[in-house]
Amino acid sequence: MKMEEMSLSGLDNNKLEAIAQEIYADLVEDSCLGFCFEVHRAVKCGYFFLDDTDPDSMKDFEIVDQPGLDIFGQVFNQWKSKECVCPNCSRSIAASRFAPHLEKCLGMGRNSSRIANRRIANSNNMNKSESDQEDNDDINDNDWSYGSEKKAKKRKSDKNPNSPRRSKSLKHKNGELSNSDPFKYSNSTGISYETLGPEELRSLLTTQCGVISEHTKKMCTRSLRCPQHTDEQRRTVRIYFLGPSAVLPEVDSALDTDSFDMADSQALLSRLQWDGSSDLSPSDSGSSKTSDNQGWGLGSSSSESRKAKKKKPHLGLAGATSSLATGKKKRPKPPAPPTPSIYDDIN
Amino acid sequence: MISLLEIYHKMNKDAQMRAAINQKLIETGERERLKELLRAKLIECGWKDQLKAHCKEVIKEKGLEHVTVDDLVAEITPKGRALVPDSVKKELLQRIRTFLAQHASL
Repeated sequence: MKMEEMSLSGLDNNKLEAIAQEIYADLVEDSCLGFCFEVHRAVKCGYFFLDDTDPDSMKDFEIVDQPGLDIFGQVFNQWKSKECVCPNCSRSIAASRFAPHLEKCLGMGRNSSRIANRRIANSNNMNKSESDQEDNDDINDNDWSYGSEKKAKKRKSDKNPNSPRRSKSLKHKNGELSNSDPFKYSNSTGISYETLGPEELRSLLTTQCGVISEHTKKMCTRSLRCPQHTDEQRRTVRIYFLGPSAVLPEVDSALDTDSFDMADSQALLSRLQWDGSSDLSPSDSGSSKTSDNQGWGLGSSSSESRKAKKKKPHLGLAGATSSLATGKKKRPKPPAPPTPSIYDDIN
Repeated sequence: MISLLEIYHKMNKDAQMRAAINQKLIETGERERLKELLRAKLIECGWKDQLKAHCKEVIKEKGLEHVTVDDLVAEITPKGRALVPDSVKKELLQRIRTFLAQHASL
């Protein structure tokens, strides 16, 4: 042993390398042999092919490797629609908005006192939306799924000329509905298109996104390039509205806007399977649909809208700007001014 | 005659050396460690899976009943040797070399 070790030290590098290679080959062979034994045993015991399935199901569960899809072949951008249920107020909230919501809902942040007040108010009136009007954070928040609907309704019902509180004063004050349009346009969640005449529709569609939300049934009022909707959606909406109405000359609409509007919107309504279409009948103009949540803007007294429309045709496509101008003129309307300014800031 | 004897002597010496080194490898437990390392690396890099796929082909070809260890070894070993990735081979050789260097300098 001693001698051998002595001779080891006398080895040159080449020999050492050769020996190293030999040892390596030996080890690999060992591994192979071990593997062969393993396989052989598996074969003889009958479990070698157990992990195999038929090629069909293998194909079914193949890993997808494509851009934009996860390994199951699903679109992984679905987190946008993921919702969490708030343990406190049991609303469902978009996951991306859940943390800020929780902060407010649990009253941890600086808004806690406000929230507390709101909660007290809520316990008094369950029907009232729990959303906070002053809460600028939430106003532009379209991630609220359930909340946004509620909120939108509430906000709109505030501006709704048909609302029980100010339907009278409004009717006295302004003959035209158009003055409320600017506020509607600036509303970030959208407007209900049934109130709009063809001109208004056209002007809206030339300046704004106009895609109709599935949830709120309102038109989107953001810019033409609003990221929430695709160009495809915008196109379909334009085909829906302007397709039939584009054929009709403007003079026509000036002559008989009402009947046209009714027919048109009703056709649309049936096409889109909307409810509340019956609210649009002109005979309803006298009786205001105050309690109807959905029909807040639907023909909110069609007499008003009729006037608006009759006035509009002269203005032609400049309807949007002119209505804005009239809106400015009429802005002194008591309840509205604070809200639009907020929206304008946001937008 | 003399040269032949020398060669014989030398071969003998070589074989002795090898035997000594192997002895050392086993005694120190280094061989076991190296084997374990190699096993882990080969599983990690998918060598085992590749080989298993190859095995399946071979076995299907031969028929499940007629598989022998000898057949498997004959079929698998060359493939297994070729499939070892370079990085694993390098790492293992490096460890063997350091072992040799340590024990050659004794």
